[in-house]
This record gives sequence, structure tokens and C-alpha cells, in this order.
Amino acid sequence: MAESMQDIKRRIKSITSTEHITNAMKLVSAGKLRKARAIFEKTNENSHYITNAIEDLFTNSDDIPDKYLEGGNTNDGTCFIVITSNKGLCGGFNSNVIKEAEATMKLTSGHKVVIAIGSRGKEYFEKRGYEIYRDYTLPPEEITFLEAKELCEPIIDMYEKGEIGRVILVSTSFVSSMEQQVTNMTLLPFPAENNPEVGVGTGKFIDYEPSVEAVFNYLVPKYVEMMVYAAVVESATCEHAARRTAMENATDNAREMLDDLSLFYNRARQAAITDEIIEIVAGSEAQK
Amino acid sequence: MANTVKLEIVTPSKRFYRGEVELVIARTMTGEEGFMAGHEWAVKLLDIGELWIREPGAEANTYKLAAVAGGFIDVKESIIIYTDSAEWSKDIDVTRVEEDQKKAEEWLRTNENTAEDYEIQRAKDAIKKANVRKQVAAGGRMGVKKH
Repeated sequence: MAESMQDIKRRIKSITSTEHITNAMKLVSAGKLRKARAIFEKTNENSHYITNAIEDLFTNSDDIPDKYLEGGNTNDGTCFIVITSNKGLCGGFNSNVIKEAEATMKLTSGHKVVIAIGSRGKEYFEKRGYEIYRDYTLPPEEITFLEAKELCEPIIDMYEKGEIGRVILVSTSFVSSMEQQVTNMTLLPFPAENNPEVGVGTGKFIDYEPSVEAVFNYLVPKYVEMMVYAAVVESATCEHAARRTAMENATDNAREMLDDLSLFYNRARQAAITDEIIEIVAGSEAQK
Repeated sequence: MANTVKLEIVTPSKRFYRGEVELVIARTMTGEEGFMAGHEWAVKLLDIGELWIREPGAEANTYKLAAVAGGFIDVKESIIIYTDSAEWSKDIDVTRVEEDQKKAEEWLRTNENTAEDYEIQRAKDAIKKANVRKQVAAGGRMGVKKH
């Protein structure tokens, strides 16, 4: 009995220290989440504003060069932009994104290229033999617009040259600090729902300068850059939220285990005492 | 009083300006162009250059002046200007601009023969931006009153 008491004590000690660690990580993540969220909210409002403005132009104008529209680029190659985190211990955050990305990859035929943002996704796809065209493995919450721009340059390049015919972005979007959702978005070509009849721009003459081509050649890369930048910032927020939740769960579980164990420990101790008393009583009985 | 039009200027990281204006002058690829309420719908690319905003109620010939680093202007019922970066003339730190410019010029001198085309273009853009920012900090090319 005594040994089991010691075993339990040892386990209690180890779980207590785990609980300390997870609790500390939870607090750190909560702090980082607050910071990331402030940036995200600021960027989000803006970037949606810009991308909406560009989307508006796309949907209201019938002057878009064909290559940016569904069916305009015949290459069956696809570029996947997969946004994950650099660190683990954040629940299903990374595996959800990777699962979604892989499921989409299985559905698409033809040549596949991966642009991995975050080392988790990079390692996963590298190991499975996918072609990693570019990667970004610095902390995502510190990404600057310039870095996002540089990441996107080869994508646009490949698309313009016709090496790929589709660009898909897989990332996590922020619903609330308790809920994050994996999103899967086709950035290029622009969805075929483009219908000038519905748009406000019907029949309105729009003056493009220097030329329609030049304007869209500027806007399309800008759109992709904005989307990727916004997605990275959003994903960073999600990562911290996911880690906070995961660590909170871990702390709760540790506490629950500690409760159980201390109950077992007390029981074992009581049993040991009872045993001893029985021995003493039996001994004194035998003396009589 | 002249008609006003809603103007918004956005950059990737923030909303730079939002308000009703009488006139906004921006530098398009073909030269400086003024936009007022009721302008024909247009989408134009902007060059690195000065941006002048005239707000209603401002004194004659008084403008808000900013430097923008290229982008586009979307003119509809309201005007939206998107730019990679924008700065009010009063916020420009001239010493820093000059440092940036020196760095870019230095780089261009040493690497001009070896660098890729796009890298040279980037350095040239940086110099151009620095020039515009200095000019804006000094009150702009047109020499009108600013506030």
C-alpha cells in the first residue's frame, strides 16, 4: 500500500507541474491573442474595404481581360496557398487547415504547387512530396504588407505565364475567440458569377487610364496580395485563439486529474492507516 | 458653395482619410488631375506623387497636402483612393527621407550593373518617392497654402 501512495504522490507532482506550464502558456496566448486581435481588427476593416472595392470593379465591369475570368486560363496547374502556424500545441488548428488543403488537392487534377506560410504546413507537404514553391516561416503576426507582396509575386508571375491556371487559398478565419473556421477560397481566376447585368455599373461608361489592361494588371496582383496579407493576419489571430483554448482545456483536464488523484491518495492513505490499526489490534489480541 | 463628394483614402494598414471634399487632385499616369463631385466614372492608376485635398469651408487656395506612393483611384458616386502608403506633409520626417534616399542611391550606384531589372526599378521608385516626400514636406510643387 505504501508504495502505491508514493506512486500517486509522484503522479500528482508531475501533473501539478504540467498544469503550471499549461496555465502559463494559456496566459501568454491570451496576451498574444489580444495583441494579434487588435492588429487583425484594424487590418480587417481596411483590407475588406479594398478587396470589396476591387471585387466591385470586377463584378460591375465587362472589360476585364479574359485571362482573369473562369475559363480564360486553360492550364490545369493549381497553386495552393496554405496558411498554418509555426508552433504546435494549438489543438486542431494546423491539422484542420492541412486536412482541408489536402482534400482540395485530391479533387484537383494536374500540376500542384504549394506556397506554405507557416512551418507546420510546409513540413507536412514537404514530407509527402509536394512541390513547395515558396515558404514563409517567420512569426505570422509580424508579417508586413511588403513581405506578403513578395510572397505573392511568384504566384502572379506563374499565372501570367500560364504555368498555373488557378490559385486557391486555404486558411483559417476568425469567427470568435472560441470559434475558428477553415476557409477555402479561389483567388484566381475570378469566379464566373461576374454578370454585368446585375451590377450597378450597367451601361455606365467607366474611364480606365492608362488602359483597361494596365488597370487590371495592377488591380489583380493587388487583390491577391491584399487577400493573402489579410489571411495571414487573420490566421495569426486564430492561432493564438486556438492555442488559448487548447491550453485552457489542458489546464482544466490537469486540474480534474489532480482532484481524482488526491482522492485516490487520501483513500490509499486511509487504507494504510486502517491496515496498521488492524495489525496493532491483532497483535494486542494475540498477547491476551 | 461647391458640391462635395465623399473621399476615402485607404492603405493596407489603415484608413488614411475619410471625409467630404470639394476637390481632390491626384497624380495619374498621364499627369495631375482634379476630381470633383459628379466626375465621370473612372478607374485610374496613380503615380508616385502629391495629393491635394480641398475641404469645404476651407479658405481659398488652401489644401491638405499628402504624399502617396502610387495606387489607384476609383471614381463613382464617391471617390476611393487606394495607395500602398500615404503621408501628410506635416508628418514627413525629412532627415529620415534623406537617409532613405541616400541609401537607395548608394545601392543603385554599386549594384546597377549586377542587379535584376525589378530591383533597379525598386531602387528608382524609392528615390522617386523620397523626392516626392521632400517636395511635399516643403509645401508641394504648386506652392499653394496648406493646412
